[in-house]
Amino acid sequence: MNTIPLTHILFVSTALFFIGMYGLFTRRNIITMLMSIELILNSVNINFIAFNKYLHPANLDGVFFTIFIIAIAAAEAAVAIAIIINLYRNHKSIDIEDAAEMKY
Amino acid sequence: MQLLNILLDASATSNASNYFPIGLQLFFAIGFVVTMMFVTHFLGPKRKTADKLENFASGIETHGDARQPMAIKYFLVAILFVLFDVEVIFFYPYAVNFRSLGWEGFGAVLMFVAFFLAGFIYIIKKGALTWED
Amino acid sequence: MNAIILSAILGVIMMFSGIWVNNKATLRWIALAGLLVLLISNIAEMYGYRIWNVNVHNMLYFDRFGLLFNSVAIGSTFIFVALSGSDINRVGKYAAEYYTLIFFVLTGITIISVYTSLLMLFLGIEIMSIPLYILTGSDKRNLKSNEASLKYFLMGAFSTGLMLMGITLIYGATGSFSIEVLNNPAIAQGVSFLEITGMLFLLVSMAFKVSAAPFHFWTPDVYDGAPGVFTSFMATVVKAAAFIAFVKLFDARMSYSSAVVDWKMLLCILIIATLLIGNITAVFQQSVKRMLAYSSIAQAGFMLFAVFSMNEMAKEGIIFYAVSYSLATIGVFAVLLKMKDFTFEGYNGLAKSQPVLAFANTVFLLSLAGIPLTAGFFAKYFMLASVIQTGHYLWMVIVAVLFAAVSVYYYFRVIQAMYFKTGEGETENIHPGFKTGLIILTVIIILLGVAPNLIINFLYF
Repeated sequence: MNTIPLTHILFVSTALFFIGMYGLFTRRNIITMLMSIELILNSVNINFIAFNKYLHPANLDGVFFTIFIIAIAAAEAAVAIAIIINLYRNHKSIDIEDAAEMKY
Repeated sequence: MQLLNILLDASATSNASNYFPIGLQLFFAIGFVVTMMFVTHFLGPKRKTADKLENFASGIETHGDARQPMAIKYFLVAILFVLFDVEVIFFYPYAVNFRSLGWEGFGAVLMFVAFFLAGFIYIIKKGALTWED
Repeated sequence: MNAIILSAILGVIMMFSGIWVNNKATLRWIALAGLLVLLISNIAEMYGYRIWNVNVHNMLYFDRFGLLFNSVAIGSTFIFVALSGSDINRVGKYAAEYYTLIFFVLTGITIISVYTSLLMLFLGIEIMSIPLYILTGSDKRNLKSNEASLKYFLMGAFSTGLMLMGITLIYGATGSFSIEVLNNPAIAQGVSFLEITGMLFLLVSMAFKVSAAPFHFWTPDVYDGAPGVFTSFMATVVKAAAFIAFVKLFDARMSYSSAVVDWKMLLCILIIATLLIGNITAVFQQSVKRMLAYSSIAQAGFMLFAVFSMNEMAKEGIIFYAVSYSLATIGVFAVLLKMKDFTFEGYNGLAKSQPVLAFANTVFLLSLAGIPLTAGFFAKYFMLASVIQTGHYLWMVIVAVLFAAVSVYYYFRVIQAMYFKTGEGETENIHPGFKTGLIILTVIIILLGVAPNLIINFLYF
């Protein structure tokens, strides 16, 4: 049976990484920016699993790193949502352009 | 796998022709996207009626804005659920290697659960889970 | 290991004491006692006494360097809480939670000072930064604080993403997370593109974390928007810890890949840009708090010299720099927080109304500027001497000295305002204990300025 070559998976993960980066830089909605960050983290997860499976199958280092990334991403998202809710209560908006208190 | 060899071995890249497959792939990727965008733009019919511009909600007539302010409790419970839900993935590796890790692993997991419980008790004591006020 | 486990446990204890203890002053005493226990346990570990014997599977390595830095970080935090504890209590009503988060930050710091695995680097950095996002936004009704915390989160999460991408590329190339390259079989095959790309990602993300230019733009806003006490903590202990992680990472990884990438040149660009932007922009600031934010960027430029030269002297120097910079900045912020007005005008005539505060502040500012007889002088001296030892890019030493001279200008503006201008110099009520603390801190800084070996000898006993 033909297996999918590693490079294909790397293309997917690299694409996800840069889609996330693009979203982070261009989107103005804070929730969307948060989603972009999650995309970046998940592209890294794909990378880890692929490298582990294809290049270093002897032990499961990469898979375990993925577990830690998922856990940390959840913690980060929780803090981010709390920050966003707090900002929304004061600003009545989740547009990043409205958060310009320190512009001068 | 040629591309992978380039990535893993810096000395193999002295030959410029090694970049050819990358260039080809990039060309096709960009070409595909551009072609598809143009093709859909020209071929697709455009009929903009009031019904079509409406949001599609399974055939039901839409009324009002979906983004109504919700009580903060929903968010709080949702966030807490996500946190406690995701931390469970740390049990999977332990469950798989339950026997071989022995008492040392058991101690580690016990410590993890203890920290976890501490967080849970803290939440309850702070009243984050009380639904009625 | 003592400090890592104990700080996590103390954090939990602090968390629960917030439920049972309502008096904020008591909470502060509990936090101080906890920090003291932490400090003692860490010093005990430096002498070989371990409370827990955990098998860390070569992911952490407790060497002198890391343990000494742990002591420095915990000690600085102790002094910080002792001096500014009342200001922490004034930020909001959740004083216990603030102390809890400070303990959790210390957990992260104690991990990243002793890591040998990239997994631990990632975890440590995250454990350190996530509580800081909350601390930055802890002034919940203040728009500036909210925005600062959002900005800090976005930048922090982005740089974490870059760091993870770097780690995964290095993992793909070498198949391990160890930063020790010597016992890594994959190295024999030569350096691969994947690994170099990974290292570049890591360099950028670490530059974000230590706020080196051109990745510094979040720093002034975050430091300005955050409640002053937590700015003080972020700009000192946390920044120094990020530098320790930086130094450890590139100490192990830089030399063998230098044939492919000219790390020294990259770091040279970073350093010059950081010194330039930090110092020049600090000159034009009107608010002392914002000036200190830019000056912390400038000081980061000096600390980057340790990553640049990477020899024994640099390692001694970064520890000493961490001590002198942290202590002086904590002192300056402690005085700043007692002022009613954060602009330069607010300091006018402080020498008349509060001579002790003015004198202590002068010593701290002199130390930051690097004037002899203060700790800051030897800190800068060690950094520049380590560059001279490497024998490359010697012109950078001259540039650094010139920028240090520029920094004297904006530090002296504060001193000038305090001593030579007339004004009210309005402050909050000053507790006599606060003055005593400031005098002790002043004595420590002058003592270290005369005998820097007091700290450095701990590296080799």
